[in-house]
Amino acid sequence: MGDPRVPVRSPLVPVVWALGSAALAYLLMGYTERSLLEVGVWAILLAEASLVSLPASSGNRLSLALAVSAALPFVLSSAGAVDLGAAGAASAMGLLGTWMFRTLRSDPAEEVMAAVLRHGFGVASYLVVFAGIVSMAGAFPAAAGNVDGVRLVAFAVAGSLWFLIETSLWAFMVFGRNRLSRRYLWLLAVKDWTVVLSLLTTGALFGFAWGELGFWAVVIAGIPYGFAHLAFYRSQESRRTYGQTIRALSRIPEVAGLSPKGHSDRTASIAIEVGQDLGMTPDEVTDLQYTALMHDIGRITLNEPSILKMGFTDEDIARWGAEIVAEAPYLSHVAALVRQQHQPYRRPGEERDVDLPMSSKIIKATSAYDHATMELGFSPLEGLEVLHRGAAYDFDPDVVQAVRRVLERRGVVPA
Amino acid sequence: MHGAKRRKIQIAASYAVLGLVVLGVLIWQQKFPPLALWLAFAFAFAFFDWRSVEVNDRMLMSPTVMVALTAAVAFGPGTAALGVAAMAALGAFSADDFRQRRWFQPIANFGQLVVTAGVSVFVLEWFLQQAPLPSTGNTFWLWIAGGSAVAATVYGLINYTFVTVAVRAVFEKRDLRPWSNLGQLLPSYLLMGFVGGLLGATYTILPVVLPLVFVMFIVGYLSFASYGQLREAHEATLRGFIKALEAKDLYTRGHTERVAYFAQLVGEEMGFNGTRLERLRWAALIHDVGKLAVPRDLIRKKGKLTEDEYEELQVHAHVVEEILAEVEFLRPMVEIASSHHSHYDGGGYGGVGHTHGEQPSSEACILAVADAFDAMTSTRSYRMALSQDYAFSELRRNAGSQFDPEVVEALSRALGRTSERYGSPHLASEEEARRLAEGPQVTSHG
Repeated sequence: MGDPRVPVRSPLVPVVWALGSAALAYLLMGYTERSLLEVGVWAILLAEASLVSLPASSGNRLSLALAVSAALPFVLSSAGAVDLGAAGAASAMGLLGTWMFRTLRSDPAEEVMAAVLRHGFGVASYLVVFAGIVSMAGAFPAAAGNVDGVRLVAFAVAGSLWFLIETSLWAFMVFGRNRLSRRYLWLLAVKDWTVVLSLLTTGALFGFAWGELGFWAVVIAGIPYGFAHLAFYRSQESRRTYGQTIRALSRIPEVAGLSPKGHSDRTASIAIEVGQDLGMTPDEVTDLQYTALMHDIGRITLNEPSILKMGFTDEDIARWGAEIVAEAPYLSHVAALVRQQHQPYRRPGEERDVDLPMSSKIIKATSAYDHATMELGFSPLEGLEVLHRGAAYDFDPDVVQAVRRVLERRGVVPA
Repeated sequence: MHGAKRRKIQIAASYAVLGLVVLGVLIWQQKFPPLALWLAFAFAFAFFDWRSVEVNDRMLMSPTVMVALTAAVAFGPGTAALGVAAMAALGAFSADDFRQRRWFQPIANFGQLVVTAGVSVFVLEWFLQQAPLPSTGNTFWLWIAGGSAVAATVYGLINYTFVTVAVRAVFEKRDLRPWSNLGQLLPSYLLMGFVGGLLGATYTILPVVLPLVFVMFIVGYLSFASYGQLREAHEATLRGFIKALEAKDLYTRGHTERVAYFAQLVGEEMGFNGTRLERLRWAALIHDVGKLAVPRDLIRKKGKLTEDEYEELQVHAHVVEEILAEVEFLRPMVEIASSHHSHYDGGGYGGVGHTHGEQPSSEACILAVADAFDAMTSTRSYRMALSQDYAFSELRRNAGSQFDPEVVEALSRALGRTSERYGSPHLASEEEARRLAEGPQVTSHG
């Protein structure tokens, strides 16, 4: 998926933006007693932290900068009240620094811009809501005197809001680029809640400890963060390898010459986009990907001479494939999808089959499309025509429309 | 009464009595910590203890030690040992045990965890009493965190001793394997103790951070758990696939599982442990996957293959191996698996990551012996199973050239110890076995 890219049409945009944030920081410095040095140190820390990123399953690039920003209303406060001027100025300068550092590291310009914008919106609302709750708490007698408790509540509320803003903005920006279903994107972004939660919590933990314990705060917040960081990386790594393993296994019938080369890979790549287009959840799309990769695994049985003599149908391939996939307990639901891949979505004189899973229908259509274009030598438009003609019984018209949209987006058929 | 069961009852009873005694002494000597605080820690402790993550073959990891020591420092001297021992007592009884109607694990764990927690926290309490005031800064922090690290090491040692004794008495010696690397375990105990002490001390100064610390632990733990689950899914998928693909060919059915078993026996005999042993087992599981891409008539061919046919078989096999080697974590295992046809003296066919003329890795040598042993002691399309004695005499005859002599002897010792026997009880020679397979009743359409 990658990070969304805001199209930067003119080199003037970053210049205007940079001058704007510098001016904002200058303006905000007027509202604080703190020295430029103190605010500047936090700003530099924020910019440095943006270079340490955590793997998020959505591809949204979440960095340790979130933690530093979350700590700002704690470390820049006097007598419990948040020093909004200083925190705001530190954020503005910090984001300017983020932009500079990441540009120096030659990260793609659009990606950096998008990340900085999201972070800017997020942190601004976080700081304002945090400060608002802290200042309003004085009105409640129950909260009076319990400064730390009030700050914890303020953090929880403002942090949740920030999470919603960050994820929504990310989904919105990706949607602007490649028109996937909004539901899919938003669910994908929300799946990152563990990463966001651990970053914000690290910030708050550091913020609380900094005032009382000084530099030990770095150790106290740093070590739990380190554990979480490693755990995220291992989990990410292991997810990636799992996909690789399944892909490798799916290629065995191909290298044995029992099914066409690259067919399952290509089918999977179209099927994923069709699933995303139709608003499936990220988990459903992952299952769809595995199903597409393994839909032809039953063909491994075809090196049995007696079977070749007797002949076989698509249903046999589906059944053998499902039997093989079902051997892996973790893939039993994928096996069910493989099993039904050959079913027509409706039969003559009947209503459409409502029990047939969407994934199986997608595999049927995308596999047929790949067969038509890659083996029968049809053009993409002719391949699409095959699907349209089969829409009476074989291919679900909704899926066919989605395939059309995906091909238009890829630019292989005219829109 | 059956011996194993009697030993189980002995161990469970003595551990439980020991645990009850420690708990009794603590109730008599100490006060109970504030209930709300205790409940929060008890919840975290049980959460982690019931859901340990398998990181390596049967080696479970969970941050319970850290939670126990954070709690101990938070409770403070005079209540800590009782509080933590009570947490441990609760943590020993998991829902899983009840569901699976296990009685031995929870009872033995109750006893050993209470004693472990009670004694190690008692050590910590000494440090807590000696510690200077928080105002001393670094001295205070180092004193508490250091004391906690010492206590965690004590925790690890006691826990290790109890588990070792129980496993030795009740299960076979082989089950000790995951526990055989105390040296690797202790540093992680030390670190977790250090962090636990720090966090506990932070709580005493700043109680408000407690929810944040719990959130961090649970979030980190969840990702770690998902790593563990995926790892499991990974293995199950690969194993399931290979079994299923293999099942399409009746003649190799069961071969992979047996080779994996023999390889594991030899690996243990030669002192492999942890990751290395696991890697060997996986290599054995995938050692024949290359055959899946080989035309069936070649696999089923009666009698010996010609030189050309053998060459073709290797080429096909290597295509599959190259594909699997693209999966990063499989690469070392594929390298072992694909060079199991190479000879000890460097002859034979090489594979991925192995060149002709080099001595193959000891893992590949183990696999070669395990494969050949199973090939001889199981019935093939062209001959009946040979006897185990014949198989060993063949292996020894070719030891030093085709096979690693050390591996052959290790397999012989391991099978002698488990007193398992494979192959036909009486058949002696290759020729006789072939003649029997070609008898009138056996017809194959391969």
